[in-house]
Amino acid sequence: MDPISYFQAVVLGLVQGVSELFPISSLGHSVVLPALFGWNIHQNDEYFVTFLVATHAATALVLLGFFRADWARIVRGLWRSLQAREIAADDADAKLGWLIVVATIPAGLLGLLLEHPLRSVFASAQTAAIFLFLNGLMLFGAERLRRRAPEHVPEGPRSDIVIAQRLDFRRALGIGTAQALALIPGLSRSGASMSGGLLAGLSNEDAARFAFLLATPIIGAAALLKLPELFGPHGEHVRGQALVAALCAAVTAYFSVRFLLRFFETNRLTPFAVYCTAVGAALAIGFAIT
Amino acid sequence: MTKRPHLVIPAIVVAVLLFALAAMYFADSASSLPSFVPGHQAGSAHHHVKHGIAALLLGLAALVFAWFQTDGTRARAS
Repeated sequence: MDPISYFQAVVLGLVQGVSELFPISSLGHSVVLPALFGWNIHQNDEYFVTFLVATHAATALVLLGFFRADWARIVRGLWRSLQAREIAADDADAKLGWLIVVATIPAGLLGLLLEHPLRSVFASAQTAAIFLFLNGLMLFGAERLRRRAPEHVPEGPRSDIVIAQRLDFRRALGIGTAQALALIPGLSRSGASMSGGLLAGLSNEDAARFAFLLATPIIGAAALLKLPELFGPHGEHVRGQALVAALCAAVTAYFSVRFLLRFFETNRLTPFAVYCTAVGAALAIGFAIT
Repeated sequence: MTKRPHLVIPAIVVAVLLFALAAMYFADSASSLPSFVPGHQAGSAHHHVKHGIAALLLGLAALVFAWFQTDGTRARAS
């Protein structure tokens, strides 16, 4: 019998695509959902890790496609700065590119070194529920402690100029380190980086945009590193399900990023904070008494 | 951006050391690593590939840092 059914793959894929980009922790949901529905799927099972990698790869591809024009500008900016051996003061694309590189370093290093030990220690559904609750508190805290947000700036290159002006490399390093919190199931990568952006003085919209740009290399690299496992012994009996889940994740990830960029034009992190604290608390209590 | 040319040589040295460390992680098993290297584990046949990738990326970052500290204007003028 297959360890994951196609129905479970569809549900997990749809949820993964949404929760990877919404600041509500995809890893937390992938731990909590099977426990909630009584499915015999555990986060530390190698086949499940392999299965999730496919959904991550799909999300990374969707993000890359969605922001393809931005990435083309950013890569050209990086190349310009390498040629000139400096980041020109008026080159927002180059500055944004190096901010993303600097912020990716701590997240990448901590991910490479701590992913497995942290996954082993914080594998239980109850722990994930508690961290989901803490994720809600983090989002509340970021909205409360945020610096005064700048005036509204339309999406696109002008938004990138604001990001490049408001962030320096030390702040980018801080946001990247905060992003590594997502190694703990229940804490959200996009939530941590959006919170960091708000504390650095970005608007919700710019913080979300920076978080999505930042997510692409780290999710993509993690997926690329683990994707070969899908074709090895751990991928047996889950390859078909992983493909179905990846397609579902791609669809919901696309609509999620479109929705969130519009949502944060006028809204804040508060609804997600309410969701995480309420659901996290309810699940933590529920798992404790059952 | 302020350039610090005196950091070029130290950054290159750090990069070379990190590349050597990466090569060690890729080539040697955990038991063969020197005892002061993170990841050393007596009797283990495991290869710390992820440690190797981390060291490689850090080395690359040090090299890029060194590149940015060199004087580009002199190179462009010649």
